[in-house]
Amino acid sequence: MFQRPRNWINQAIWKPRNPHSLEHLKFLYGVLAKNAVVTEQNRSLLVETLRSISEILIWGDQNDSSVFDFFLEKNMLLFFLRILRQKTGRYVCVQLLQTLNILFENIQNETSLYYLLSNNHVNSIIVHKFDFSDEEVLAYYISFVKTLSLKLNSHTIHFFYNEHTNDFPLYTEAIKFFNHSESMVRIAVRTLTLNVYKVDDKSMLQFIRAKTAAPYFSNLVWFIGNHILELDNCVKNDADHQSRGRLGDLVAEHLDHLHYLNDILCLNIKDLNDVLTDHLLNRLFIPLYVYSLSHDGGDGIRYQQDGRSRVSPVVSLFLLSQVFLIIQHAPLVNSLADFIFNQGPQAEALEEEQATNSNQDPSSSNPRRFTPPAETLEKSLEASIGKGKKKHKKQPSSRNTDQAEEDGETEYTEGNSTFYKDPAELSDTGAEDLSVRSVSTRERARGPIVGPGHWLMGPIDGQAPSDYTLMYPRSSESQGPAVRRSKPTAAISGDTVMSSQNITDEEKCSRAAATGVRQTESTTGFKRRYLDAIFDTLDCGNNDYEGLFSLCLLYAMGKNEGIREGLMDAVAMPSVHSPTKQHYSSPLLERLLKVLELSTKQVSAVRVATLWLSCTLVKQLVLSRDQCYLQDRHVAYVEGVREAATLLLRMFYKGDEIFLDMFEDEFSKMKEKPLNVEYLTMDPSVLLPPTGTPLTGIEFDKRLPCGEVERARKAMRTFFLLRDLSLSLQMKVEDQLPLTKDSELIKENEKLDLNNSDLIACTVVTEDKQRVRLGDVEVTADKEDSRALHVQIHKPTSSVSVQASPSSYKPMPLLSAKFIFDDHIRCMAAKQRMTKGRSRARQAKMRLISKLLDMPAAVSPPSPTPPVHRTLQMGAMRMYTAHPSHQDPPPTMRKFGPVPGFAQRRASSHTSPSGRRSASPKGRSSPKAQNRSLQHETSVEEAREAILAETAEAIPLQDLSKQGRSFPQESDEKELSSTNLSPSLRPAKAPPASLLPRHDDGDRPSYHESVKLTRPADPDRIRSISDTSSREGRKETRNPDANRRRSSSDGSGSRIKPTWHHGAHWYTGDNDDSNNGD
Amino acid sequence: MSYAYLFKYIIIGDTGVGKSCLLLQFTDKRFQPVHDLTIGVEFGARMITIDGKQIKLQIWDTAGQESFRSITRSYYRGAAGALLVYDITRRDTFNHLTTWLEDARQHSNSNMVIMLIGNKSDLESRREVKKEEGEAFAREHGLIFMETSAKTAANVEEAFINTAKEIYEKIQEGVFDINNEANGIKIGPQHSPSNPALGGGGGAGGSQAGGGCC
Repeated sequence: MFQRPRNWINQAIWKPRNPHSLEHLKFLYGVLAKNAVVTEQNRSLLVETLRSISEILIWGDQNDSSVFDFFLEKNMLLFFLRILRQKTGRYVCVQLLQTLNILFENIQNETSLYYLLSNNHVNSIIVHKFDFSDEEVLAYYISFVKTLSLKLNSHTIHFFYNEHTNDFPLYTEAIKFFNHSESMVRIAVRTLTLNVYKVDDKSMLQFIRAKTAAPYFSNLVWFIGNHILELDNCVKNDADHQSRGRLGDLVAEHLDHLHYLNDILCLNIKDLNDVLTDHLLNRLFIPLYVYSLSHDGGDGIRYQQDGRSRVSPVVSLFLLSQVFLIIQHAPLVNSLADFIFNQGPQAEALEEEQATNSNQDPSSSNPRRFTPPAETLEKSLEASIGKGKKKHKKQPSSRNTDQAEEDGETEYTEGNSTFYKDPAELSDTGAEDLSVRSVSTRERARGPIVGPGHWLMGPIDGQAPSDYTLMYPRSSESQGPAVRRSKPTAAISGDTVMSSQNITDEEKCSRAAATGVRQTESTTGFKRRYLDAIFDTLDCGNNDYEGLFSLCLLYAMGKNEGIREGLMDAVAMPSVHSPTKQHYSSPLLERLLKVLELSTKQVSAVRVATLWLSCTLVKQLVLSRDQCYLQDRHVAYVEGVREAATLLLRMFYKGDEIFLDMFEDEFSKMKEKPLNVEYLTMDPSVLLPPTGTPLTGIEFDKRLPCGEVERARKAMRTFFLLRDLSLSLQMKVEDQLPLTKDSELIKENEKLDLNNSDLIACTVVTEDKQRVRLGDVEVTADKEDSRALHVQIHKPTSSVSVQASPSSYKPMPLLSAKFIFDDHIRCMAAKQRMTKGRSRARQAKMRLISKLLDMPAAVSPPSPTPPVHRTLQMGAMRMYTAHPSHQDPPPTMRKFGPVPGFAQRRASSHTSPSGRRSASPKGRSSPKAQNRSLQHETSVEEAREAILAETAEAIPLQDLSKQGRSFPQESDEKELSSTNLSPSLRPAKAPPASLLPRHDDGDRPSYHESVKLTRPADPDRIRSISDTSSREGRKETRNPDANRRRSSSDGSGSRIKPTWHHGAHWYTGDNDDSNNGD
Repeated sequence: MSYAYLFKYIIIGDTGVGKSCLLLQFTDKRFQPVHDLTIGVEFGARMITIDGKQIKLQIWDTAGQESFRSITRSYYRGAAGALLVYDITRRDTFNHLTTWLEDARQHSNSNMVIMLIGNKSDLESRREVKKEEGEAFAREHGLIFMETSAKTAANVEEAFINTAKEIYEKIQEGVFDINNEANGIKIGPQHSPSNPALGGGGGAGGSQAGGGCC
């Protein structure tokens, strides 16, 4: 391993054999000493020497302390520095940095570390001007300083921060890269800053705040803001969802920034937080985000021209929601919320005016504006630190005051880094604030109380005193300075005092608001607040593009831990934390209810997510833990809306299987994936105008429905959500949904009562041992082996889902097993049983749905079959409800030809025994033959049905005609499955209805079974017991081909297809029946 | 010096599983494994060749930033590949994999290639996690799996290079939008102007033509 070094250093003195030894280090020292000047010739030698040194030192640190002693004794770091200063180029540089990296990363011995740091060489290396245009040099450098920052603690900090010279190169050098184009570099800088802030060292933090906070934060804020402008641009220019990836990155980037800011704020460094809060509020959140609320997109150009950037209201709402979701720092969120609640565009106008008025004195014009920092971070750091050092020598105590005066032209330097510090100056400027130029932001920024919340002083002055929501905060603010001034040394406690006062005032205020919610609103009504602008976007008549984000924002504010309760109560928006919600904002609630109402319209621009969020917000507004404060008239409204939702869903109601599948699917989806606003605000796709096409890959929730099926799904969601809302408001527990209750299902290891059931022996071959609780069972006869049945249990379907790629159509079976029976007769019987059990279970569910929807007999569903279906089924299930349609005489239906179920019903009356009997001959002759004969039956049926269907709205005519043609043809030569699958057969979706008649009279024994059978199939059960007929209650027959076909044929894009398949596969069992019957 | 692509990797996993040692072992062959020396580094870069193309790997160790949420989430997003490392002699490091993986999946872009690494395979006698378990975990979560030893350098090379190959393949398939540096992939200087077929990333649209309005 020391082959190479030896070759390179032939001329050197004796070389030790052991690379890990003191001797070797001594040898290397000799090499370094001899090659003090880096030349082309000795570069490689030096690089290898440097590398070996790091290796030996780490080895020494772990094994032999004398190695380290030698290194320190000879002051070898100095050699490093000397080499560095010779501008030796990348090769040596990178090696040096790597060596240093390794040293600081691996040294575990603390004393060694201290010694390494003690002679200031490391600081010299940090400030060395490397060639940072070389990405590799920069990467090594930045990880070097990051590694160092990880070693910081209250002891080591003194090696980096020099109190006497006011120098902290590690920090000041690193933050210069805060906006580097390389993301990893930016992250490293952020890590470093957080690691620095985390160190509890007063004077160091003082330095950070006084010398670097304002420049750093102002630049950071400007950097973030520019990202926002880019994001806004992206949104504006991408109506067709082309660059969603780019947009996603920008959104994620903004989230990163917010999380970073929040991480800083969470470190709870009071002084630092004040500066940061000030900058965020007055340089970014208010001027860029909030001001944009009241501007429509058209203004953008004008504003850009005069240097004031605006983003579109949608973007601004989106960003503000993120702010309130992530940042909980009380002073920041309170001030921001307060501003939104109580200020309006006129505040901005006022500021503008002042800004123009004070133009003569540029140093005093510091309006709340999103403007670039006066100079680059690097320059201002140089300036502030350079000056600081100079001043320090002269008169340390007044350093900052002086600097402030001198730096009048650099707004942030004086505005922020001084007043937080010097109490004497504080009182001066404070007084000035109140008397002479009370409105100027700059003074506000200078006064002690300025940070968060102090903007109030200015704008409010212009307001009529009759507005008491505003009065209270103002009076509390004006007490602020007094408190501060009286004890200037305790700036921190001052703030606490102030905030506690605020709370009292807010309480008064909220009480005032409480006694007259309306009054407050009417008094403030004369001026438009940003809050009103937010409320206005809730009008989702045309679209809910902005409305969705307004809801997010209101939701986030309600959830935010940092916002004082009083503040939310003052605008009558009780938050989740409010103990009582007697006074809620009627205008807001009514707007929310309007959203709900709109969503129940047949054609509605309200997306599911919007509706969902509205419901959540209504609950947040009026629901406390044990009480609902909703006023009666609003309760009535909600009930009305729910009624409308029921009606809407009723229009989509069809007594078919697809409806049931969708119904259950939607419900479970809603329960499984509750709305998460935080995730919603991470999704770039919602930032683009709402779209209706699933091609964009946007989740169903977040776009408009496309096609009839999706509209039906949306109607279901609407129904579920509003039902849930109504129940929650009435403090009731949902007892009807889901249709299948877990508690009623057969559990694993539960015993089945098999008395009175026919047992059919079989052998079970499984491939998989997963557990199932609830499944959709699919039974197929084995084409090869007439004695075998394939049983597949699927997860409760998500198969109907559209937005995903076709591949997701294939449900993963939970259980896939082969049941082998003694003979095909039993096999057929078992299959029949299972099929029937399945359909029975499903019919029971359909009945439940119609009950949920209060389907009256009078309101006829689109196709004539369902009522029959329901009626009969009810009879069968012995559910004697007061349902009017119950009286419909089933026999009539049977008599009349048009009922598609006619033939089957007849067949089914023979039930299992006969079924088994008749199945035997046919079964022997292979499924094909059997199917063929069945086909004729069904085709007749289909035709009849088709005629019926003509009247039914959902079935397109062309399908009918096609169907008529294709059926007979196919029946001759194709297998059952393929016939069923022919895409032209759509009308088949109605057939399920036809099953019903069978149950009510035809099939008594199996009815009994069905009661047991409605339970879910438990795979273990199925496997362990050698019978199928009676246990398979919840199992559902399905043709696997159907699934396959579906996925393959879906390319054509028909949304109805799944529907059709469900109908179709159903025939599998049915055909058998009728066949048997014949 | 110049490269066709630059891939950024991150290394994640519990502390003490040997992440930085793996990194150093891969990026700097001059540090040969020695028994009485544990040595690691937090950053490294190395050039490799795949399919005749020079590819630079930049590897960032994420150690030490666990306490800040903002940092973890940004690291994940900036990487094209991640090495998820556990220590085969410490069962707990294996048990924490799920958490790491959840984090990674939540914050990273969906195309990030994740490789599962059972490190310290040289310490067979102290093994607590069977190779099969690692394999099963990887299979279950769709990761590539390998057992390595930073001590003996076994499989280290392969681990990093196989990950790079996977990323490279994804680029060839057009999965990665390489014009977007936020993915952790950078096109080399001489490469940047032309990169025809892969741009835009809109090509995927064709495959999902189904399910349109009706």
